[in-house]
Amino acid sequence: MKQYILGRVVRSIISIFAVVSIACALIYGLIPHEKIFNNDPTWKKIASDPVASITYKYQKWEDLGYVDFQNAGDICKLAGDDVDYNKCVRGTTDAFELVKAEWEAKGYTVMYKDDGTAYVKQGIDFYEEQPSLCKLTETGANYDECVKTRNSDLEKAVSSYIEDGYVLNYYNTGTLYAVRENTVPEIIFGYISNLVKIDTPWTVNDASNPNLERKIYPGLDHNNIPALKCSGCESQYLLYLDGKFPFIHQNIIKLNFGISYPTYSGLGTMDVIGQGQGDPVKNEVHYDTGLTAKSAVNLHSCKYKSSSTMSSDDAKKFATNYADCDTNKKDPSMIGTSYLFGILGIIVSYGIGLPAGILMAQKKDKWQDKLGIVYINVMIATPSLAFIFFMKMLGNKIGLPDKFPSLGFGSIKSYILPVIILGLLSTAGLMIWMRRYMVDQANSDYVKFARAKGLSQKEIFNRHILKNAIIPIVNGIPASIVLCISGAVITESVFAIPGMGKMLPDAINAANNNMIITLTFIFTSLSVISLLLGDLLMTLVDPRIQLSSKGDSR
Amino acid sequence: MEDKKVVLSARDIEVKFQVRSRVLTAIRNISLDIYDGETVAIVGESGSGKSVFTKTFTGMLETNGTISNGSVMFEGQDLTKLKTDKDWEGIRGAKISTVFQDPMTSLNPVRTIGYQIAEVIMKHQGKSAQEAKEMAIKLMEEVGIPNAASRYDEYPFQYSGGMRQRIVIAIALACRPKILICDEPTTALDVTIQAQILEFIKSLLKEYGFTTVYITHDLCVVANVADKVAVMYAGQIVEYGTVEEVFYEPKHPYTWALLSSLPQLGTKGEDLYAITGTPPSLYDQIIGDAFAPRNPYAMQIDFEEEPPFFQITPTHKAKTWLLDPRAPKVEPPKAIQNLHERLSAMVSKGGGYHG
Ligand SMILES: Nc1ncnc2c1ncn2[C@@H]1O[C@H](COP(=O)(O)OP(=O)(O)O)[C@@H](O)[C@H]1O
Ligand SMILES: [Mg+2]
Repeated sequence: MKQYILGRVVRSIISIFAVVSIACALIYGLIPHEKIFNNDPTWKKIASDPVASITYKYQKWEDLGYVDFQNAGDICKLAGDDVDYNKCVRGTTDAFELVKAEWEAKGYTVMYKDDGTAYVKQGIDFYEEQPSLCKLTETGANYDECVKTRNSDLEKAVSSYIEDGYVLNYYNTGTLYAVRENTVPEIIFGYISNLVKIDTPWTVNDASNPNLERKIYPGLDHNNIPALKCSGCESQYLLYLDGKFPFIHQNIIKLNFGISYPTYSGLGTMDVIGQGQGDPVKNEVHYDTGLTAKSAVNLHSCKYKSSSTMSSDDAKKFATNYADCDTNKKDPSMIGTSYLFGILGIIVSYGIGLPAGILMAQKKDKWQDKLGIVYINVMIATPSLAFIFFMKMLGNKIGLPDKFPSLGFGSIKSYILPVIILGLLSTAGLMIWMRRYMVDQANSDYVKFARAKGLSQKEIFNRHILKNAIIPIVNGIPASIVLCISGAVITESVFAIPGMGKMLPDAINAANNNMIITLTFIFTSLSVISLLLGDLLMTLVDPRIQLSSKGDSR
Repeated sequence: MEDKKVVLSARDIEVKFQVRSRVLTAIRNISLDIYDGETVAIVGESGSGKSVFTKTFTGMLETNGTISNGSVMFEGQDLTKLKTDKDWEGIRGAKISTVFQDPMTSLNPVRTIGYQIAEVIMKHQGKSAQEAKEMAIKLMEEVGIPNAASRYDEYPFQYSGGMRQRIVIAIALACRPKILICDEPTTALDVTIQAQILEFIKSLLKEYGFTTVYITHDLCVVANVADKVAVMYAGQIVEYGTVEEVFYEPKHPYTWALLSSLPQLGTKGEDLYAITGTPPSLYDQIIGDAFAPRNPYAMQIDFEEEPPFFQITPTHKAKTWLLDPRAPKVEPPKAIQNLHERLSAMVSKGGGYHG
């Protein structure tokens, strides 16, 4: 049994990674990298500026792991002591600098092509490239030196980059940058190897704070509740307790799916779907400096802030460098929202579907059964969008809001329509299956024998049929519960519910690649987990099923 | 035998089924007295109404079926008058039990064996759970389940087919019924286990002294276990008598046909006798003798008028015009003459269910 579960878990993890890798391969391999800028407002503003747009583009791509991008500054800084930093950053040879000064003195502007060669252009008639510029000079500069695009210092600095397959390019100011495109397998490998982040006291690397202590220690949080704290970790609290489900929280192991871009730009994808939404909620807060203020800060979430960026305001509140904190928001996160609706919907659908299916089976061919069949047929035949709008119309008549945000999370009225709709949408299927399983069982031989034993119809029903018929239903329950996190696309968008449902289509539209992969990962994992849970649950209710890797039955 | 007490007496039973808008008459005027302690075998090809007839003893007809005529007297009350589960309480499963065809499926797969035995003890004998458990374990021991106490909490899938059948029989006998109806109880088992189970029922019979109604189409089983045989055809009993009478002096041409189609009796080189044609449709009204269209000895009257029962001996009767004094004398087919020697030869060869 244990062995079987272990085997299943290992196989599940492998299959999750397989799915994620396939998704990565499709996204990185097939979607042109330029496409991610289509929805970026910043890009629209700077696209016409040749220097800024190039830097922005490559930096974004580097953030997303698509390329390695190095500008001349970085390259020259890392080059070592035998390279003159200033000359290296300038890049041009002394000979060319002389020539350039001469031309500029004459009133010309020297520009550069992306291979780094200089040119001078004036009007329509005058155009000279670097070799002619060097030839036409009166400074006596060495021609061979002058036509070079890189001086010896820069040449030394970039040699290792050239070896590593970087492509050297130049801004139109003549400054060099080096780019190496990562291959699809490299991107996927990079993505997966960064997936799990473990926070240790050696995580923080802050040159401006060399005396940072590195330790994990038990302590009290701002509410005087015990917590496991850390100095030198990224997060101040490794373990802490609070009043929110699941009450004990950890910051030690984090899944890192990269940053969201271009929508929700800059946030981690998990934070986008996992953090609270809506207006900040201010509370009386006691900072560890003794300061008390009304603030929405979430002190449990504080992360390390480099000494160089600590403001005097921060120093007033925080005794340590852990000053980079989230804010408490009024409304639940996207996941939380979808989950809330999903669970309520499941309660409605099982609460109605199972008893209705059972009743139909008990009253087979009577009016109750016939009515149920009519209901099932109507529900199946009606497109769900039509059903949703119909229900919405009915709801409006009795004064229920037709958009969730109009009354928001605070009012019960906002939930009624979406929950009933979500619930009813899946009743038809449940009723069909429940009825079918019940009727199947009722026609089985053991029920006939139970009757011959003299048991009454009611006893047979309660002791035998019901349990047997519910077994296959039980298998599907974890899946319904776990997968409602993924959100109900149509219902959520009709009611403008801030849940997960719209995330995947939105992410695809905006080419928010990391978000797509994050969601793929989450949905795949949840499906796999819920299948496993369903099977484990089956072993509890069905004695015939024993989980074992081989034939041994006990 | 005549001085034996009648435990159950069916009179003029007629059963009809509503099938969509049509009515099917499955049982047509059967009368049968079952004597205390006897084993009655009911034989006949499938669809002849054997199961339906015995279901009237326990009120187990499907909801589309009704007993449209007749009575079944048992312990002074007419069972055909009982309608609800409550009416049947104390009779079905308590005084009249049934064992069905397939032991593999007669038990609920997700309830323990013990639960399924104890359940019926608690139901009919009003015992507490603890008492019922003790009785159930004793019963399991009696039917030959090794380590009964430790196997009490096991599930049917942990039992072999033969053991399951024993459990089914244990459940049926848990309340010491007066009558045990076995509806082809061994057909789903392999031959050796079938033989064991038959022996087993026979031994229980001696001990418990219940009356058995044995439905089968295996005539070897009949020869082995039964005292009386009723031959059914198209919803009627067409011949009734002791085993010896029906096997060695059969009078009805349908019985002849049945006996001569026994594969065990086929001698080398001789073709097996097969009954030609199909049984009549039970939806139609049957005129004359229902077997007439398939009967090579049929006379004009067989197509016109239903034959009455002709009493041959006090215990033997058959429903065929051939027994009318006016009818020509007909010899039974060669294949079943001297059946006596051949059957006993066969049984002693060790092929049958000889105890
Ligand atoms: N519930 C039912 N509805 C309609 N017809 C039935 C029903 N039960 C039995 N019959 C019919 O009654 C006849 C006798 O059936 P049955 O007693 O099961 O035969 P068997 O001799 O094989 O046990 C068959 O023709 C069968 O089709
Ligand atoms: Mg039958």
